[in-house]
Amino acid sequence: MRKVAVVGAGMTPFAEHFALGIKDLLPMAFAECAASVDKGLDRGDIQAAWFGELSTTDGFPAGILADTLDLPDIPVTRVENACATGNDAVRNALFGIASGAFDVALVVGADKVRESASKDTFWEWAGMTRDMAWDYPLGLVAPANFALHVARYLHESPATKEHMAMVAVKNHHHAVSNPKAQLRFDITVEQALDAPTVVAPFGLYDCTPQSDGAAALLLVSEDVADRYTDRPVWIRGVGLGLDRVMHQHKRDMTTFPATVKAAKQALGMAGLTPSDVDVAEVHDCFTGVELISYEDLGFAERFGACKLVEAGVTSVGGTLPVNPSGGLKAKGHPPGATGVAQCVEIFEQLRGEAANQVDGARIGLAHNIGGPTAVSAVTVLEGPGA
Amino acid sequence: MTQVSSVGTYLPCWGSALRRQAGDDEDALTLAVEAGRAALSDSGVAERVIVVSRELPLLEGGNAAVLLAGLGLDPELEVTERLGGAPAALDALSSARPRTLVIGTDLERAGAAAALTGDEGLSLRATARLARSLPVRTRDASGAVHDYGDPRLLRERGLLASVTAAAVEKPVAIAGTDRKQAGSLCPGTAPDLPTTGASAPLFALAALAETGTTGTLLAVEQATLTGVLVEAGQARVHRRELPARPLPKGKYTPGAEIPISLAAYDRAFEPKLRWEAARHPDREELDFPPRYRVGQDGSLSTDYTLVPLPRTGTVYTGVTVHVPVPGLKTPYSLVIVELDEVGVRALVKVTGTEPGTVDIGDRGRMVLRRVAVRSGVPDYGYAFEPEEA
Repeated sequence: MRKVAVVGAGMTPFAEHFALGIKDLLPMAFAECAASVDKGLDRGDIQAAWFGELSTTDGFPAGILADTLDLPDIPVTRVENACATGNDAVRNALFGIASGAFDVALVVGADKVRESASKDTFWEWAGMTRDMAWDYPLGLVAPANFALHVARYLHESPATKEHMAMVAVKNHHHAVSNPKAQLRFDITVEQALDAPTVVAPFGLYDCTPQSDGAAALLLVSEDVADRYTDRPVWIRGVGLGLDRVMHQHKRDMTTFPATVKAAKQALGMAGLTPSDVDVAEVHDCFTGVELISYEDLGFAERFGACKLVEAGVTSVGGTLPVNPSGGLKAKGHPPGATGVAQCVEIFEQLRGEAANQVDGARIGLAHNIGGPTAVSAVTVLEGPGA
Repeated sequence: MTQVSSVGTYLPCWGSALRRQAGDDEDALTLAVEAGRAALSDSGVAERVIVVSRELPLLEGGNAAVLLAGLGLDPELEVTERLGGAPAALDALSSARPRTLVIGTDLERAGAAAALTGDEGLSLRATARLARSLPVRTRDASGAVHDYGDPRLLRERGLLASVTAAAVEKPVAIAGTDRKQAGSLCPGTAPDLPTTGASAPLFALAALAETGTTGTLLAVEQATLTGVLVEAGQARVHRRELPARPLPKGKYTPGAEIPISLAAYDRAFEPKLRWEAARHPDREELDFPPRYRVGQDGSLSTDYTLVPLPRTGTVYTGVTVHVPVPGLKTPYSLVIVELDEVGVRALVKVTGTEPGTVDIGDRGRMVLRRVAVRSGVPDYGYAFEPEEA
């Protein structure tokens, strides 16, 4: 397989973009991505595109992407893999290029969550993710899916709600300096612990906001990378893991086996270990999920995640900063865009251009978990200095 | 002459001792199932079911299937849905053939009771029946209620005039009226009854059976009356009557109508209401919910049998939803229950306790409840009722 590089990356701010439709957000993200290509991009160079979008807004996604970006003559594939959509779109494009089929491909992720009335959003989205007869009528709101895991995790591990609050404080703080983040304000542990309960054990500050947004990456083969930049970021590994969909079929709910499988694949492909990772964007749709993911990704031993946040290891300035962008928690979470935007952040980190720069970052990792907890995608990237 | 072999009663845990209230996840059918299961609990055999109520939820069909599934009875059994109050239930019982399960179920003073007839047991014989009209309270097809508002008229020209006209001998119990009137008509013997509708005479029968009291049992509804003579014999009584406590307040959030797929409802109905899992040939583990499987060699397995699941288990994990959810009342609790000894878990709602009070490791049982109402369709399934602390 040929090596594949990221040579451009861009994204819209994540926000409640009531005034912007999907047809506005896609060109915005693409244009920023194109502008980041050091030696410039001719749109005609793009040979194929992969578009991650969970929902269907204003038309079928592949067509909307081709039409909106004036790319009617190339194949466009829509990727939908729950909240792992973004990193799975990257994975599919990588194989398209590594195989030799294409030299230049575009990866875009986007979603418009705030497009329908907030009173309808829950049942609409639950309809896509739950068994209609067995789970749907129970009122299994999105936070409840993850809270079922985290409640058991808190029961078995030494982690507490204070540790979840520390994750919220960290990611909020990281977001303050990120102009693309949705929630750019600091909070305290006390504020997090005193916040209204959403779904016990999650308070308001344990939860990601609802967001709209888009992100884009330009992927090229090693054969043509130098036409676009002298500072490519290499995709060293990709992985995708699945798990049982219904919660009652998951035997150990203190871990996400999908993440374990995806991380093993991606790191295995890269020939790296978790300890090689310098910076990571981890799927923190809920704070407790970041803790569990430290363990599933191999950053902490089993039930050792709380020690990492206690010691500040995963804050910027620590030895393994996690979610320097603010994460889903504070940067925002338009599901299809989330994984792609994680790679945008890692791209900037590895090129030393991030808003919240991690010193000397060389290897970065991006991670999604979704479905709600039955699919994970992991991407491992390496900076140009390597 | 009818012989009653067992009587089962059910009172929801909500409301006050004097006036029980159905939970938000209960309706006349789920109450009836609780009482019916209690009556059948010592391996009683029912060959037909008569359910008497003025509150049946599905007026255009479907009650019978829910009832039989909830009771664990054969879907081929005859189910009679009888519209009526206390006299209708007593009529149904006094004319029932052996192995008939007669259930009375009420929502206003909530409760249900069921009597199973057999070849031996507590004997009862119809002695009086009188239909008179004094509609002091009316309800039309749309549910609109009108109350004439004259309790003394109801007492004098309803209850007392009918008792006199029917020339019944001094009753030992009266069902269908309030405690005060019952007490004045049968001093010293009138049992305190928690309900006044179709279930009331069956609650009365349970009390008479427990105390070994014989004599006339009257069931009244406005000016209509039925009397039976309760004679010798034994009926086993199984009461599922939890202590009463106030219904948790919660907050209903109006908004979206929750959609339903009736195709999905139909596919899930049997295992969902009968609490059954699939056993495929040559597969160790049970599949819950049931589904087709494929073997290692890719062969399709569709030929599964449904096997009953245990109705007791332990909470593996659980959460309580506080955030307002359009169309639902919050807070509510969801748990994953590890069912006893079968390696099967179920994700279900919690019932019978205040939200947020169930912890990991708690024990309880699975009970049929109306899990949701979706686009006008009552969606029945099982909920976890924790053991009393």
